[in-house]
Amino acid sequence: MSSLSLATHLLGGTRSAVLAALLLHPESALHVRELARVTGASPGSLHRELRALTGIGLLLRQETGRQVHYRANTACPVFEELAGLLRKTLGVADVLREALAPLADQISLAFVYGSVAAGREGPRSDVDVMVLGRAGFAAVVKALAPTQESLRREVNATVMKPADFARKRSAGDGFVVGVIRESKIWLMGSEHDLAELAQDRPA
Amino acid sequence: MTLQNLLKIGRLKPHTPTAQEIQRLLAAAERNLADAHASGISDETRFDVAYKAIMQVALAALMASGFRPSSNEPGHHQTMIQSLPHTLGLPNDAWVVLDALRRKRNATDYLGDPIESDAVTECIEQATALMSATRQWLEKRHPELLREEP
Repeated sequence: MSSLSLATHLLGGTRSAVLAALLLHPESALHVRELARVTGASPGSLHRELRALTGIGLLLRQETGRQVHYRANTACPVFEELAGLLRKTLGVADVLREALAPLADQISLAFVYGSVAAGREGPRSDVDVMVLGRAGFAAVVKALAPTQESLRREVNATVMKPADFARKRSAGDGFVVGVIRESKIWLMGSEHDLAELAQDRPA
Repeated sequence: MTLQNLLKIGRLKPHTPTAQEIQRLLAAAERNLADAHASGISDETRFDVAYKAIMQVALAALMASGFRPSSNEPGHHQTMIQSLPHTLGLPNDAWVVLDALRRKRNATDYLGDPIESDAVTECIEQATALMSATRQWLEKRHPELLREEP
């Protein structure tokens, strides 16, 4: 169906979801119930999976009182490689691209900007997404809403008509000029398309 | 989170509504919504007044349901939007958009981000829809709050 299925094919749906939830957020430890909510898997199958992944050293199990939490074992020799694979296939860009796919015919360009795009994000940073096209604000927000759970970040959309964007760019609008200059993670379209769009002087 | 739970954690307080305050809130929201259509003012201002109308309508629905937000707790706006599925039975789809508008308002007020015209249009549409849903709901569930002489 999409690039999303790469990690899923290699690792299976539940396993790739669990690993993405923990390895892409190595700072946090999650309870089985939280993992069930984030991954959409049943607690039963999660227990099995977590036991196996802890057994081979990919995860750490920690008991706090009567609560059991799991987190990524960053000391595992393949942690970096596996996290990299997950980031590329189940990371922010792919999850957002997948979510916007149903609106693809109404979107000219879409990219992540702000702290996540610049790699300066903290554990609580939002994901800022710019969508240029005919798609409406509500449609984009609804399409992106489900990603907030799996990414464990709020996703904020800015939705503009390409002509509006070009007009603001020509007028020297600080926000638009800044966004053009800053780092981006491309979801749809490319830097080249953006340069073309920004050069189009609206009549 | 249900209204009772929001009450338990101190985000809401019990409230006895009067017809006068409900009608005053709805009238204020109508005025704000009308202002949001005005030409010659900035997108930011039009967004602000439409957003304010949303909050006033949500507050009317919350008060009519017997609650008000507790003013000494942070996050009133979030509480008001959270309350809508429990007061009006607002569907999740609409809730998601209202919550995005709330975050848009935070971003513009506290980070200085601009408001795009698509968000203004959406905010006005949401306010209009919420206004008519609230009037219908009041008519059905709390008609006395609409009829009594204000």
